[in-house]
Amino acid sequence: MTITEHVGTTEPVTVAVIGTGAIGQDLVSKVHNSPVLECALVVGRNPDSAGLRHAERLGYPTTAGGIDAILAAPRPFDVVFDATNAMSHAEHWRLLRPLDTLLIDLTPSKLGQMVVPTVTGTQTPTERNVSLISCGGQASIPIAHALASRFTAAYIEVVSTVASTIAGRATRLNLDEYVATTQQAISAFSGVADTKAILNISPAVPPATFRTAVHAVIPGATTEAVRAVVDAAAEQVRAFAPGYRVTACSVTGDRVVVSVEVTATSEVLPHYAGNLDIINSAAILVAEQHAARLGRTTRTGARR
Amino acid sequence: MTPVVIHDPTLRDGQHAVRHQLGVTALRGYAEAADAAGIPVVEVGHGNGLGASSIQVGQAAVSDDLMLSTVREALRHSQMAVFMLPGWGTSSDLRKAIAHGADIIRIGVHCTETSLAERHLGFLAEAGAEAHCVLMMSHMATPEQLAEQAAAVVGYGARGVGIMDSAGYFLPDDVTERIRAIASAVDVPVIFHGHNNLGMAVANSVAAAAAGAGIIDGCARGFGAGAGNTQLEVLVPVLERTGFTTGIDLYGLLDAAEFAERELMPAPPFTGSLSIVSGLAGVFSGFKHQVLESSGRAGVDPRDVFFELGRRQAIAGQEDLIVDVVAELSAREVAG
Repeated sequence: MTITEHVGTTEPVTVAVIGTGAIGQDLVSKVHNSPVLECALVVGRNPDSAGLRHAERLGYPTTAGGIDAILAAPRPFDVVFDATNAMSHAEHWRLLRPLDTLLIDLTPSKLGQMVVPTVTGTQTPTERNVSLISCGGQASIPIAHALASRFTAAYIEVVSTVASTIAGRATRLNLDEYVATTQQAISAFSGVADTKAILNISPAVPPATFRTAVHAVIPGATTEAVRAVVDAAAEQVRAFAPGYRVTACSVTGDRVVVSVEVTATSEVLPHYAGNLDIINSAAILVAEQHAARLGRTTRTGARR
Repeated sequence: MTPVVIHDPTLRDGQHAVRHQLGVTALRGYAEAADAAGIPVVEVGHGNGLGASSIQVGQAAVSDDLMLSTVREALRHSQMAVFMLPGWGTSSDLRKAIAHGADIIRIGVHCTETSLAERHLGFLAEAGAEAHCVLMMSHMATPEQLAEQAAAVVGYGARGVGIMDSAGYFLPDDVTERIRAIASAVDVPVIFHGHNNLGMAVANSVAAAAAGAGIIDGCARGFGAGAGNTQLEVLVPVLERTGFTTGIDLYGLLDAAEFAERELMPAPPFTGSLSIVSGLAGVFSGFKHQVLESSGRAGVDPRDVFFELGRRQAIAGQEDLIVDVVAELSAREVAG
């Protein structure tokens, strides 16, 4: 069955991916597997990049022409994934804003409307720019939101650890944006004003599986009650990111700590790169829901 | 006689030993004593540096702003230094530190992850600040890797670069080899920061100076996590006898150490059993309090916890692994 037969239309929902690092490559692979999205262009800046070779092997058009190549397309793409860096995203948004394109931002620029699928849903905002916050945000906010909904939390702190081998240059240059954006998103979705975000890059060999520890100050919580709340939240996340699991949960006095690990289920990512898998899976979910609303498809995003 | 610059992080690294609880009076008193002794650089902050007050590592008693303004005011001759770990603090913390009159800003990164410092070193170079970069947990890299990483950070704008023996793992020959490799790769001062887990901190520091390090760290009474850091008031006279000049007044130095023992710490650090284990396991001594608490509650041997953290190659800042390791060891014991 071809994509056309699947979606029942001669006009597929076209997608472009800017950025050819690990995030970009995994996005291309996830779009490839999506029954409703068609990868129309993969954009990099270096003609020799491994990411462009990967896209070519899958049979997709590529260019090293940067954002100009997106703007030069005869018809605007329905969806553009931005997997570059926070500084470039501001410029990409300025240029794409006038077009009829949904921009989905994988960088921690904080410019678009923040989406955490199990917390906010995946509706397309009026301003067609969706921010996926950060990998640590995607992993921690479902837990922070669930804790804050059930208990009264005085403080929430989120510490994420990413393996060095998959922290690319953009990630390394955007640590400040990562911290500010993740912190702001945790406050926004938990309603707790006093929050903190920290990112560790682990050099361990073999590489460490992506993990996030959510610390919270909650007077009167019990381990059983916390466990029930976070297990339910994790179950919802697993609907689109199956490698998401709670590995430890402890309550000492008013201190609650919940550890989450995320493994990747992807053709291009190593299993430990759950940080990239969860943010990309969320991005694909947003794109597929958008595709459904464009009315050119008969199926919605049940990829897995 | 070769001059070396003594860099004193008592009021920053010592914080790990007292869960970041140093108060304003203690900060001011020690800074005044260090200034009077002619200690050229006094570093202040939360144990993990600017912006690092957290449940993960410990919440500080005093805000960064108050720590910096207190120490700045107390230092009339000495330079004030601060420390920042990218991913913990941000450029806005650096801007604040510059506004507070920090003379030297150290960016700390895991020894093989110096590209994490590129943005902040660039920012500091542009701001005209004296930026240094220290490679932490340096026992986890070869001398060649360290030399390569040191050259990279100088390229990013660092005007000083060096290594921290964060786990107190090195023996003097290890230090000699590493400092030589770094000194031949860069044309800026080379830093050595020792920990005393295996009783080698002073010997390692002398080896570093002899191998070409121009900036040596030491803390009053060795104030620092676990077994403590290089003991400053021992280091300085030993360096002088070895043929290095520090410009520090001996009695002033001894007075500052007396003050530190009396006002900063419940007791001076010593090499306890767990500090030996953390040194052997190659794990940052700062994990000690949390390892003891967590393993005590679960009834597992804290030594096993340190060795398991070593196997997982835990780096500074990864305190959240402790809970998981304790839970796993506890489950293993039940199953076994």
